[in-house]
Amino acid sequence: MDMKRLLMAVLLAASLGAVPLAAEQSLDTRMQDLRQEILHLNRELFMLEEDLLFPANTQVAVFLSMDVGEFFALDSVELKLNDRVVKRYLYTPREVEALLRGGVQQLYLGNLRSGSHELVAVFTGKGPHDRDYRRATSLNFEKGIGAQFVELKISDRVSRQQPEFLVREWD
Amino acid sequence: MTPRWRHFLAMALTASVLMQAPAWAQELAAGEVRDLHFGEALFHFYQDDHFTSLSRLLMAQEAGRITHHRDDAELLAGGLYLQFGMYDEAERAFRKLLDERSDPALHDRVWFQLGRAHYRQGKHEAALGALQRVDGRLAGYAAAELPLLKAQSNMALGRYTSAAALLENWQGPADWLPFMRYNLGVALIRSGDADAGIAQLEALGRTPARDEEDKALRDRANLALGYTWLQQSEPGRALEALQRVRLEGASANRALLGVGWARTAMDDHAGALVPWQTLWTRDRLDGAVQESLLAVPYALARLDADQQAVHAYERALAAFDDELRHLDDVMNAAKSGELVDALLLADDPERARWHWQLDELPVSSVSRYLHALIASHGFQQGLGHYRDLLALGRHLDEWHERLETFDHMVEAQMLAAQQRAPVIDARIEAIDVESLVARRDELAARLEDIARDRDVVGLGNDEELEFWKLLEELASGPALAAAPEQARERHRLLRGHLLWQMDRDYGYRLWQQQRALTELDGHLEEVAPRLQRVMEIRAARPQELEALAERIDALSPRIDVLRDQVALLRAEQAGVLTAMAMSWLEAQQQRLVAYQVQARFALATLYDRAATAARPAPVLEPGS
Repeated sequence: MDMKRLLMAVLLAASLGAVPLAAEQSLDTRMQDLRQEILHLNRELFMLEEDLLFPANTQVAVFLSMDVGEFFALDSVELKLNDRVVKRYLYTPREVEALLRGGVQQLYLGNLRSGSHELVAVFTGKGPHDRDYRRATSLNFEKGIGAQFVELKISDRVSRQQPEFLVREWD
Repeated sequence: MTPRWRHFLAMALTASVLMQAPAWAQELAAGEVRDLHFGEALFHFYQDDHFTSLSRLLMAQEAGRITHHRDDAELLAGGLYLQFGMYDEAERAFRKLLDERSDPALHDRVWFQLGRAHYRQGKHEAALGALQRVDGRLAGYAAAELPLLKAQSNMALGRYTSAAALLENWQGPADWLPFMRYNLGVALIRSGDADAGIAQLEALGRTPARDEEDKALRDRANLALGYTWLQQSEPGRALEALQRVRLEGASANRALLGVGWARTAMDDHAGALVPWQTLWTRDRLDGAVQESLLAVPYALARLDADQQAVHAYERALAAFDDELRHLDDVMNAAKSGELVDALLLADDPERARWHWQLDELPVSSVSRYLHALIASHGFQQGLGHYRDLLALGRHLDEWHERLETFDHMVEAQMLAAQQRAPVIDARIEAIDVESLVARRDELAARLEDIARDRDVVGLGNDEELEFWKLLEELASGPALAAAPEQARERHRLLRGHLLWQMDRDYGYRLWQQQRALTELDGHLEEVAPRLQRVMEIRAARPQELEALAERIDALSPRIDVLRDQVALLRAEQAGVLTAMAMSWLEAQQQRLVAYQVQARFALATLYDRAATAARPAPVLEPGS
């Protein structure tokens, strides 16, 4: 066996496998610090944005969630507040997947004065047997001094083999 | 066995294969989401938008909007910190849960996450320490992943017997079985129990694969098996295993090379030429292909086809020269700083922002030479940092612009508030609550008198009162006294009827008035606090706007500083990646030069043999 060539092979294998990371590690620590600072900054910026654009006394947020989704495949939602369309949203498969896994989408964030309001949501998609499906649900609610959160929930009603569209206020 | 086999065997028996799907993601999805804002963080998380997910989560935590999922939120935050490579912060989040909560099931989940964090950092002892604290309360995917993580940590520490013991008792989802079986096979072989290890790899190598991932793993198992059989001087069995590897795929070249070696070991040099010559048509940068450039003339020489062997060595030399020239060009491009940008060209603009793994390598001359480096964890991590810095920079740029808009908004609102202030003040000034209360009191006193005296006239309507006044004026004047009896009788009747009418309605009218007074009291009660609130808002508004302006003023320079830091770090990161690439390319250059030397030496030997045909010439093994 040619020892010199064996040594060369081993050295080459070693040099191919290991790349010095010493400089990268200190950079890594700095990356961690920078990310942490930017995350903190981001949190403060989001809060500033909300305080400025959607102060708590007028804020209204509408969320959308789904459970199983066997009887309804969501395509889009139209949201009306006091008979005015405030949001039209078309879903990507990725977003629908995130909703089905338990994610909750903040569909709308806006301002409303205190008093009585009406919310109407129109859902479009594919219903049982792959048929086009369009259903609306509504809620009359009283906007108080604090922020108002409303959840639209698409749920499967197994007993009727139909989707169910619920809307509820959160404290 | 030739030393080169050992090198390829080591490559084939890679310590372990990692599971792709993190168990904690599935775990978080279990159960109904009872905090909207926690659900919102999950919504972004499930779309791999980890930065937004973490930002929204931190904001919701700060605003006290997560009440039911506090622990889940901490776990999610810790996991997201991990995704960002923020190990210290992740550990802090997990330690906080351990310190503040006593729920043993939660502790298990936290120790598990901490173990994963250490494992990801390559701190295998610490990972094992944390994972061993898990006390049997994990469920679902996490429960199945725990022994795998422990085994992988043990393998990384060279404790293959412990790893094998853990894997032999493993239970989990059926689709994880190939990963487990591969790792178990490797662990057993490495621990010295080659027979048991081979049995595992054999089983995996013959299992029908469902998808591409399984097929790749099956190829790796057969490759490892083939080289292990070669090591055990069982070329027939090696051949059988290696021939099960697909002809395309990550393991194909090494398998073809191994097939050649197996046939050589069986003295079938002509047979060895078939797979080796197949390799000639493949990417010359691949180690197995380069090896084949020397292996083919070696086999030809063993077949006494010296002339063809000479041609083959000359062809190999030309190929090495060619590759060295290309390598020079690539090294020059890398040095000039084009490398990182070229690699990022293939990024999906929709997902690139926070997308960490390079799923498909871009096709370019640079990436071709750096394929294995780019696929390595260290380079991926560095590239991930660079991509992340690009995204952070863009993110800060967006906030910079938005903050300018916010600044203008606040300024405009301040101006509007100043302009509206006199109007609002005048309207507040005009509201005299005291006089309203006095008027109410007066009405209440009058109603009390009416009720006390049963003053039915006091509750008469306007028409009745007008009529009553007329009748009373007539009664008190001289005209009625002088009037005929009939007229006086008529006056008496009318007065009596009117009194009866007012008396009849008195009870209802009194109730009506008292109810109206109660309603009025209700309204009056609301007026004072509402006015108070309006005055407070009026007084506080300038201060609020001032506070918002101050927050903007404070955030603005922070953004600028961070933008500079991001730019600086990005340049440094590009430098690190370039240095890694250069070091990699130089190693390839050295390897090619070494092959050149070998080829020249072998060629000289063949020339020498041809010149002195009478005496037998030594044949040099390419891998010896």
